[in-house]
Amino acid sequence: MSETLLTLNDIHHSFRGLRVLKGVSLAVPRGAFVGLIGPNGAGKSTLFNIASGFLRPDAGTVLLDSAEIMRCSVQERSRRGLVRTFQTPQMFGAMTVLENLMVGRHKQTRSSVVGNLFRSPRSIQEFRATEQTADAMLKRFGLERVARHKAADLPAGLQRMLELARAYIGEPRLLLLDEPSSGLNGDEIAQLKLRLNELNGEGITILLVSHDMNLIDAATIIHVLCFGEIIASGSMASLRDDARVREAYLGV
Amino acid sequence: MPEIFRRNRLPNIAIAIVLWALLPTLVSRHVVDLLIFAGVYTIAGLGVSYLLGHCGIVNLAQSVFYGIGAYCVAYFSAQHGLPGVVAFVAGGLLSATIAFAFGWPILRLSGHFLALATLALGVIGQVLFLEWDWLTGGTLGIGGIPKLNLFGWELNTPQRFYYLVWPVAILVMWLKYNLTHSRNGLAIRAMRDAPDAAAVAGVDIRPLKVRMFVLSAVLGSLAGSLFAHYVGFISVDSFGIDRSISFLLLAVLGGVHTTWGPALGALFVTLVPEILSRFGEIHAVLFAVTLVIAVIFLPQGLGGAIEQWLRRYPVR
Repeated sequence: MSETLLTLNDIHHSFRGLRVLKGVSLAVPRGAFVGLIGPNGAGKSTLFNIASGFLRPDAGTVLLDSAEIMRCSVQERSRRGLVRTFQTPQMFGAMTVLENLMVGRHKQTRSSVVGNLFRSPRSIQEFRATEQTADAMLKRFGLERVARHKAADLPAGLQRMLELARAYIGEPRLLLLDEPSSGLNGDEIAQLKLRLNELNGEGITILLVSHDMNLIDAATIIHVLCFGEIIASGSMASLRDDARVREAYLGV
Repeated sequence: MPEIFRRNRLPNIAIAIVLWALLPTLVSRHVVDLLIFAGVYTIAGLGVSYLLGHCGIVNLAQSVFYGIGAYCVAYFSAQHGLPGVVAFVAGGLLSATIAFAFGWPILRLSGHFLALATLALGVIGQVLFLEWDWLTGGTLGIGGIPKLNLFGWELNTPQRFYYLVWPVAILVMWLKYNLTHSRNGLAIRAMRDAPDAAAVAGVDIRPLKVRMFVLSAVLGSLAGSLFAHYVGFISVDSFGIDRSISFLLLAVLGGVHTTWGPALGALFVTLVPEILSRFGEIHAVLFAVTLVIAVIFLPQGLGGAIEQWLRRYPVR
């Protein structure tokens, strides 16, 4: 087993002639908590879309466990343990919080449409087991009081928690989190940070995109993406001293 | 399910069954006819309703599958004298095949574009049913369709057919309920609400949508086969776009989020015009006005409104 879980290799991408990514290479070591920062328009989201399979890059390769996954669908990457969240929370809005979590177990379950239609024993047993797993997850993420609420009705903080819980319940090995703290207040960000450290402690590798200096602090290595290039990498402390980073991003 | 049903489940079900069984003996032959059509439309409408409410797919092609089911009965049972089951199975298989072949390419579309694509299929079906008169009889139609024989039980009266069609409709509702409360039922609603997040959860979106489209088509075909057996004579007039629209209408009227909504919608679209016809020529206008009022004041449909009402007055 290689020590690198996710490798992005010389990724290039343009939108209508605008070069968004100019040869980005990034390695996420197994078990690490990696941060990715950069000003708006730096290409962070594009990079996320490429890693998670929503976008095919013009050039470059993506590897998971040293295996090339360029041809894998979003679903296949998810089954292999690569799970992402979105910059604006993508709730299953008309469904309850509990049901949202149950969908998070989709790839761990197998029952077929026909089995579901006719209530096959497997279908029922699997559904109950999923319900129990989801139920246990509610408490852990502070969602037990809103279990029967529609996800669309939740405040931003709980939606972020639900999105994280829904990703976690699917037993990911690598979590790609896109701005998980946007819309949260200070307390909620502290909570989120605690959770992320907890998940990382369990062995889940995390790649975090965030503008939030308090949250990104949790990452051990941080890469700075600026106009499609990685201009610096290192700990938060070392980046603060980097003249290019200060100029491009921190603005001090 | 509303509290009132949960608490008094058995007595309620017993009363409902007795009422249902007595109904055709209490009303006129003509009303039994309408109740049977309502049952047939419920079966086809359940497919349309599920696609609309759970998958976010507007299906304007249900009349095609309804027609295929009916013409299979005309072809296999009436013209070739094969047992009834052959036509039902053939209709289901043919509808499933066509739904798959057509659904696979079009179900990458969504919203209005998808609705237009299904409308196109509906129009193609309507034209082919008319033009292929060597097979369908065109506007002259095909008559002499034998009555259905169920294990030696000849369904030769409206009452008997009523006792077949509604249990079938209820069986289909049960299947829909099961699917809704299952792994794939959740996945289907998830991909309607947030397809990207559903994909990340591992939901294979297009294959699942295609399966639902196929399933809905099979229901349309089943309803069409029942229809053909009941009326004994079919012609292209029964399988036009207006039929598709009435399936969509009953789905919306009944409420797409309730299991039994399509049954209410089907009863509405069959019985209400009948009641209004007493007012003479104006009845079509009155029906249109009723529809508009229903849609404005009952956005969740009849089923949704009733469920809401039952929730408000729980039995304590």
